[in-house]
Amino acid sequence: MSEVMIRAEGLGMRFDLGLERGFSLKEGFVELLSPSRRRRRRREDFWALREIDLTVRAGEVVGLVGGNGAGKSTLLKLVAGVYKPTRGRVSVHGSVCPMIELGAGFDPNLTARENIFLNGAVMGYDRAFLLRRFDEIVDFSGLEAFLDVPVKNFSSGMTARLAFSVATLVEPEVLIVDEILAVGDLSFQRKSEEKMLSMINGGTTVLYVSHSLESVRKLCSRALWLERGRLRQEGSAAEVCKAYLASLEERAV
Amino acid sequence: MRFLKQIRLSLEKYRFLIAQLISRDFKVKYKRSALGVLWSLLYPVLTMSVLAFVFSHVFHASGSGVNFLVYLLTGITFFNYFSEATNLSMSSVLANFSLLNKVYVPKYVFPLTKCLFVGVNFLLTLLPLYAVILLTGTGLSWAHLLLPYAYLCLFAFTLGMGFLLAAAAVFVRDVLYIYGVALTLWMYATPLFWDVSMLGDPFAERLLGLNPLFQYIGFARHIIFTGTAPSAESFARCALSAGLMLLLGAAFFREKQDSFVYYM
Repeated sequence: MSEVMIRAEGLGMRFDLGLERGFSLKEGFVELLSPSRRRRRRREDFWALREIDLTVRAGEVVGLVGGNGAGKSTLLKLVAGVYKPTRGRVSVHGSVCPMIELGAGFDPNLTARENIFLNGAVMGYDRAFLLRRFDEIVDFSGLEAFLDVPVKNFSSGMTARLAFSVATLVEPEVLIVDEILAVGDLSFQRKSEEKMLSMINGGTTVLYVSHSLESVRKLCSRALWLERGRLRQEGSAAEVCKAYLASLEERAV
Repeated sequence: MRFLKQIRLSLEKYRFLIAQLISRDFKVKYKRSALGVLWSLLYPVLTMSVLAFVFSHVFHASGSGVNFLVYLLTGITFFNYFSEATNLSMSSVLANFSLLNKVYVPKYVFPLTKCLFVGVNFLLTLLPLYAVILLTGTGLSWAHLLLPYAYLCLFAFTLGMGFLLAAAAVFVRDVLYIYGVALTLWMYATPLFWDVSMLGDPFAERLLGLNPLFQYIGFARHIIFTGTAPSAESFARCALSAGLMLLLGAAFFREKQDSFVYYM
């Protein structure tokens, strides 16, 4: 068997929804004066993920499917290291390229050229490397004419093209992709899908979230179906997609 | 020791990111200004000129045997660094939430880059400060080579404070407002344009000696005005307050950084 790239054991992630409401002095006073109202601001635990076990081996392309709020993005963020798990452990082997949201590191006031370097630095590349690959990035994005325009003047499609080009300029060992293939115009969509496929064929391990079951079926060898934070089913992509689709249709009837 | 090694490795790994973030700050700050980065030099020159005019022509101030203008500018240069760097550090983590929520980036880089960014400006303000030192005939001496020690202590103290404020502001936004007031108070509690001897109270003098900013400013003024090295006690006091603050701030930040994402 090939090397394990991502391993998660008993992964659980809890959010406290009560925190979001925050604390204010006014509330504190009200609670102080009327004890009956006290304890209203209890912890409101919300488990975005519970008891997830996951092992992804080198070269595998694993799809995650499930409804909104099922915990797919939370799982990706745990793997990417953005969140620390409440329970369990997750370890990733090798370089990770998180494409959770494209252009997360962009500064709208800077030009495309400046943002390529800033975003590249955020992704962990160094100057020499970026200089070497600069033309390639620009070429792929097809934005030569707009290199010195601040990104705030870009259309959302152009921003996405630039971001995708920076994000995929290397073949990282582990690629984390959250619903981003539908960026740009049709020709760029095709181009980025080809790029994804070539990365997959090149042996990159991919964790892939998409609502497009068609693309999951096409790209992934294995799929996980998450439902309200729990693993509902795991298996071959075709199998899981079929079961997920069946449950959706059942609910619709 | 292992901890120090970790810090060094992490700094090496994220050196380019830190450099990029600093250069971003400069680019954004001077975007669409005709003079650009030149303002980093011009701004302190102009504000110093205003102060020089006000204090020498309007207030007719003169210190006890020392050149008041140099006295004033030394204090203000140090305090402005502290005030600007801590203010920027305080909101740095909050301001980069959209980034932190999507990519793994070590969170300490944000307060650190702000302190370094303002540090570059601080070094530029030393040019007009030295111009004044020379023009007023205060004179130079070999002891000036010890001044970087004061800068280093100031930097460490500011960074520690920046870490503390950045982490605290994530949990309780009130910190952003409270600190503004605290800073004003701190400014008047630091002898920038007055002298401790004006108080005529030995207890108050000792109390002010505990103000770390005054320790660093006092260290620098001693060198500039006497041309001799400060006492060993001065060296130790500066190192102690700066080291403690940096340790405290960094420990608090490190302890809390994993829970930042829930509060932003």
